[in-house]
Amino acid sequence: MTQTVPNTTTRTITATVNGEQVTAEVAVRTLLSDFLRHTCELTGTHVGCEQGVCGACTVLVDGEAVRSCLMLAVQVDGRTVETVESLAEEGELSTFQAAMKSHHGLQCGFCTPGILMSVAAERRGDPVERVEGEVLGGHICRCTGYAGIRAAIRETWSKGAQA
Amino acid sequence: MTVTTGASVDGEPRPEGSLIGARVHRVQDDRLLRGNGRYVDDLSDTGTLHAAVVRSGTASGEVTGFDASAALALDGVHLVLGPAELASQLRPVPHPWLIPGQQVTEVPLADTTIRYVGQPLAVVVATSRAVAEDAAELVEIEVKERDAVVGIAAARAADAPLVYPELGTNKVGAIHFGDPAEELEAVFATAALVVDHEFEVPRVGHNSLEPRGIVAEYIPATDRLEIVSSTQVPHLIRQEVAHALGMRVDRVRVVAPDVGGAFGQKTSLFPDEAMVCAAARALGRRVKWIEDRSESMVAAYQGRGQRTRGRLALDADGRFLALHLDIHGDLGAFPSTGTGGAGPFQVSGLMIEGPYRFERAASTITAWYTNAVPTGAFRGYGMQESCFVRERLVDMAARRLGVDPVELRRKNMLGPADLPFVTRTQMPYDNGDYPAALNGAARYGKERARPSEGRIRRGIGYASMTEITGYAPTALQEMFGIHWSTYDSTRIRVNEDGTVTVHSGITGIGQGIETSLAQIAAERLGVPMEWISVDLGDTAVSPYSNMASQASRGLPVGGGALWRAADRLRLRMRGLAASYLKADPESITFEDGTFRAPDGSSVSWREIAHRGWMGWGRDPEGPIALEELEEFDPPSITYGYATHGAQVAVDLDTGKVTVEDYWLSHDAGVVVNPLIAEGQMVGGVAMGIGAALLEQVAYSPYGQPITATYLDYLLPLSEDVPDVAQEHLETPSELIPGGFKGLGESGIIPPPAAIANAVAAAVPEIADRLTALPMSPSAVWTLLDEAGLTR
Repeated sequence: MTQTVPNTTTRTITATVNGEQVTAEVAVRTLLSDFLRHTCELTGTHVGCEQGVCGACTVLVDGEAVRSCLMLAVQVDGRTVETVESLAEEGELSTFQAAMKSHHGLQCGFCTPGILMSVAAERRGDPVERVEGEVLGGHICRCTGYAGIRAAIRETWSKGAQA
Repeated sequence: MTVTTGASVDGEPRPEGSLIGARVHRVQDDRLLRGNGRYVDDLSDTGTLHAAVVRSGTASGEVTGFDASAALALDGVHLVLGPAELASQLRPVPHPWLIPGQQVTEVPLADTTIRYVGQPLAVVVATSRAVAEDAAELVEIEVKERDAVVGIAAARAADAPLVYPELGTNKVGAIHFGDPAEELEAVFATAALVVDHEFEVPRVGHNSLEPRGIVAEYIPATDRLEIVSSTQVPHLIRQEVAHALGMRVDRVRVVAPDVGGAFGQKTSLFPDEAMVCAAARALGRRVKWIEDRSESMVAAYQGRGQRTRGRLALDADGRFLALHLDIHGDLGAFPSTGTGGAGPFQVSGLMIEGPYRFERAASTITAWYTNAVPTGAFRGYGMQESCFVRERLVDMAARRLGVDPVELRRKNMLGPADLPFVTRTQMPYDNGDYPAALNGAARYGKERARPSEGRIRRGIGYASMTEITGYAPTALQEMFGIHWSTYDSTRIRVNEDGTVTVHSGITGIGQGIETSLAQIAAERLGVPMEWISVDLGDTAVSPYSNMASQASRGLPVGGGALWRAADRLRLRMRGLAASYLKADPESITFEDGTFRAPDGSSVSWREIAHRGWMGWGRDPEGPIALEELEEFDPPSITYGYATHGAQVAVDLDTGKVTVEDYWLSHDAGVVVNPLIAEGQMVGGVAMGIGAALLEQVAYSPYGQPITATYLDYLLPLSEDVPDVAQEHLETPSELIPGGFKGLGESGIIPPPAAIANAVAAAVPEIADRLTALPMSPSAVWTLLDEAGLTR
């Protein structure tokens, strides 16, 4: 058997994470999700499957929703990353966060940050095309049955609010 | 149809502005929405080593060689423990509920005999998870493979390979509940109508979005093991860890932080978790292991897994004469501990009758070893499986008799005057109005019919059920030789600044019990909810609870205990105020945080709390500490019940079933928080829709899991789950202070039956063949094709 030699090559990256410039040396194989959670200590981004299916790890990179478990940290060099920790503005829950609370759109809360980020990405899209089921299409929630989440999305969009 | 009837509590009308029945927002939501959850993997990694688990890639065999030298040579690797070392360090854990005949009464946590793919064989500990995984790949294990046994049919075959050759059989054991078999056979031989079918409910996975995870820290100086675990049952984990590691229970502490879903899976110590504890002790360090999804899908215990022959006998008038379920359960490689093993199969058998009267009823349950990961507790705990069989048989019988299935149910259903009632399998039903739930759902369903259009057929189906909640009393467990205790304890304390702390043995697993308990405490004390903290899930401070958050018992048992404890504490606070104000306690009023005497003098709650902590003004014979501990062991089981309705569309070209509309009428006693209650119901229904249409753990004939990712194992998405209309009937439980019944499992029980009955109504040509779950497009298309309905 050929002995595996772990890939320990590192690279220095600089990214803007939640408005702050972060420079760090990372192993090139580091996933963006691990970089955010363990290097940036932003543990609000959750890892549910590491297979790019469940959507819990969704963050925004240059405003687009991406699966942070399917992206390497080195890919965000020079780019902007937003995580769930950025959503509450001046300490107040965003309109959608507050709607999730009032419509009981979360139970265990593990999938919630990813859903919050996908809905946040939608604010850059065309509001006419919005369908609440579609923005949820890439997310698995095992607790809520989705009804409360859809109600929260509908309420947020009916207010014309930013997510 | 969200209707709340607003039942009285303790015979008194619910007061205006009561917190019982209020749609209070959950106390933890702000934190979770901001990304400030504290799940196991979110805790600080300072000083932490990381574990990776080496697992078997084959389903059956014997470890003949183990070489970790290459792994140990890797930079950053601290320790590798192989199967033989682990077996010497981990004692087998006794199984608490045996099925008669069960020979494997202890679960080996480490073994050199391989019985399933995913079985943990070694643990590697390194400075980082990445290094630990690199090293795990370098561990070489030689295995002498044996033939595997996959599935119940294979396990039962005469020439089957044996999971335990020394036992001479794959049969774990068997039990019969209810009327004697010969009495049933006499009825089946002479009844006007007998409906007789084979049913299959496959293995399914819990798939909490947070997989399992554990951080174990051993402190040599004090011989203490501190564990943080994503678990439903911290006290049980402590017992099992102490036993496995041969430690004193008082040296082990288990904390459950935020838990990202559980659904019955996180109810016992798993072998890989025990190995992490052994590694922490060997190193005198803190070791973290976070299960990844691939591991979860092959090595975390699963649920269901039953093949059942169901027979229902009726007379010519449609009266239920006899019901028999011959249940065969897929136990897997060994009986899972905690509330697992053959327990769910047995509860399937005990709960066959649902809300109906049968002249005779019985179940025969047989459990089988197979070369697959063990099955265990899964939300609904066996009740979904037998509900599916019974409610399908009822529907088939109605079709054969040419009567409305709702009418047939109504005719045979126990009425409110029949309760309390003991079933043929000796389940003591308490109170309620079962037909009210049936009628409520049927009434709503009348307006929900939608016509078929072209190749899309539509239909409506119903399913009714009864459900064990607040499982008790503990003496019954002793009588039946089940090593569980079912009581729970809650401590409530007024702190020196007047704030209130509640400690319960119940744990938070995402269901929202913290909020419901805070509502109860605030309501009974008469103080604002904001003054209440509910601290759960730490064996160092939480009162003992063996079962903790499972079996729909959090609110009835934990909440019931809190109800009484808070009432006592309220009276003590009032007594202290009366002593201070020199007035008769009965004359003292309490409003807006202030005690007032008839003469107009007053004192604040906070001042009385302070005086209480100083020990001033108390009854010299009475207690000092401003806290009350209530131990509550319900005198009997309190039962929830429901009828669900589903309207489905069946695409004759693709076999795809879509649940277009769903509604239910249920009774969970007094509802503390309708927002949370409805969330539990919808979440349960969603999981039930998954079981009905999508979910199935599959193995190759060699025992290889072939549903090991979310691309192979389909979970319900938003598009699969409609909004759910709900009617809450509220018959207060007479067994539980506060009148609560549990509802965490209620929603998941009827959906497969209701949806199958709806498909049968939509496509009567295949009605009698809808006997297996999931009703996936390919399965349904095959039935449609065989019925000549495809093109």
